[in-house]
Amino acid sequence: MSSTSLTRVSDLRGHGFLFQQLVQRELRQKYQGSVLGLVWYLVNPMLLLGAYYLMFGVVLKPGFQHPAYPLFIMSAMVVWLLVSQTLPAAGDSLLAQAALLRKARFPREIIPTAVVTVQAMTFLALMGIVAVLTVAIRGTLDWPLLLLPVATVLLLLFVQGLALAISGLHAHFRDVGPIVGAILVPWFFVTPIFYRPSDITDQPFARAALEWGNPVAPFAESFRTILYDGAAPSAGAMAYMVLATVVALGGGWLIFRRLQRDLAVML
Amino acid sequence: MAGEYEQDAVPIGAIRLEAATRSFNVQVDSGRTLKELLLRREHRGGPEAVPALRGVDLTIDPGETVAIVGRNGAGKSSTLRVLAGIVPLDSGRVRIGGQVAALLDLAAGFSRDFSGRENILMGGALYGLTRRQVEERLEDMIAFSELGEFVDLPLKAYSSGMLVRLAFAIVAFLDADVLLIDEVLAVGDGAFQRKCEERIAAQVASGSTLVLVSHDLALIERTCARTVLLDSGRVAADGPTAQVLSEYRHLLSGEAAPVRGTNHPAEVAAAAAAAGGGAEPPSDHEEPA
Repeated sequence: MSSTSLTRVSDLRGHGFLFQQLVQRELRQKYQGSVLGLVWYLVNPMLLLGAYYLMFGVVLKPGFQHPAYPLFIMSAMVVWLLVSQTLPAAGDSLLAQAALLRKARFPREIIPTAVVTVQAMTFLALMGIVAVLTVAIRGTLDWPLLLLPVATVLLLLFVQGLALAISGLHAHFRDVGPIVGAILVPWFFVTPIFYRPSDITDQPFARAALEWGNPVAPFAESFRTILYDGAAPSAGAMAYMVLATVVALGGGWLIFRRLQRDLAVML
Repeated sequence: MAGEYEQDAVPIGAIRLEAATRSFNVQVDSGRTLKELLLRREHRGGPEAVPALRGVDLTIDPGETVAIVGRNGAGKSSTLRVLAGIVPLDSGRVRIGGQVAALLDLAAGFSRDFSGRENILMGGALYGLTRRQVEERLEDMIAFSELGEFVDLPLKAYSSGMLVRLAFAIVAFLDADVLLIDEVLAVGDGAFQRKCEERIAAQVASGSTLVLVSHDLALIERTCARTVLLDSGRVAADGPTAQVLSEYRHLLSGEAAPVRGTNHPAEVAAAAAAAGGGAEPPSDHEEPA
């Protein structure tokens, strides 16, 4: 029948300015009227990093040791910050822009994509800082660094897929946002950020579950492997990331396509 | 089978609506939760789906000026929303040529925290304009809106009249091939109303198609050559404005005065029930590829 896919592509191209406007709005609206403005985007994650270092590096003194422990935490934490800040924001995005949805016909995925883009910009800035610090202090300037852009692209697409799914689902079922918020808390602790799975368990099954049962874990571990260890992630980890990205993006796209039809009516 | 919305499959400015059918699920408005989804079987209060359009066919040629009239709940606003591509059809087909601009709901899409100028940029972007295209029109839009220095203040500071002028200025200067306008002209003061009518007339003179939904019959007589009368989601009459409006007046006088208010689906349901007509199965006009 009608060339739906072709129409979609041309729609997206025709709405580049809308995408740009939404990103600008998202950036400004958040901290409008604040003195530090956009700097807050970096201050908050930095404070969080500092708090976790104080908690797990100084106060609690875990039974395992890693040199330059703040770098050890930060190089994996940047991944977690992206995931944990993007998913709730994406969940709210369609509701927040309901007025735009009721006004004109445009590809609805622009809205969650703009949210992901803003978060991705923060992530890239923060990751840049962490990468320079880690590589300089740890002396890990070596060829595995070339894998950093690959891992970054995979991570951003993975998050984009999750964001599409969550934004579409939350618009239909308002429990999804609170559920995501609730899951994020335990999810943080089972993600290997301030430890490595081998640090806290010798049981092969528990280790495998920590390493592979959580789709964010291979991303966090890979960023740390590249930046902190100066080594290449295992082929298994790379394959896992590719697979997770394909599944998240494909699934997210399908869910969103299915749920976006009636947004203007139901929001 | 879901309805189709195709842009640019017909000549610029033309509109083809074929067997357009659309129902609204009243419960959708309340916002579903997972609990309701899981317990759906026990959840049956009120009508499941209220038909708003029941097979509307409409052929509008480029440059025509068409008014849509009908009582509340007849499907006027739904028709405009379908033409604007905001509300998808359950079945049937919409084809529209060229760019469509819709003035449906005045406040919609405006952010109170942003200035008039910023809202103009967003408004243009929403309709698919590029930055350059919006900037080319920016001064015209600002001048038309008569906002003066208010254009750089956040919308919070605006009166409702200023919001109307801003909303109209954006849509009127998009140079769209199809203009869809719902009832909003009545909001501004007399002088601005006349200015809007003149602007619309200029747009039409340059070849744009106009579809206007209004209860203001005098406005319709001034603006539209053709009128379509909708009744219970169907086309009841379609022809020259004078002829259809007299039919419409007849319809209005023949029955109790319609309740002036919203087009809430519940009202539609009540009207449908009173008329004794249940929901009919949508006619499927699938065309071979």
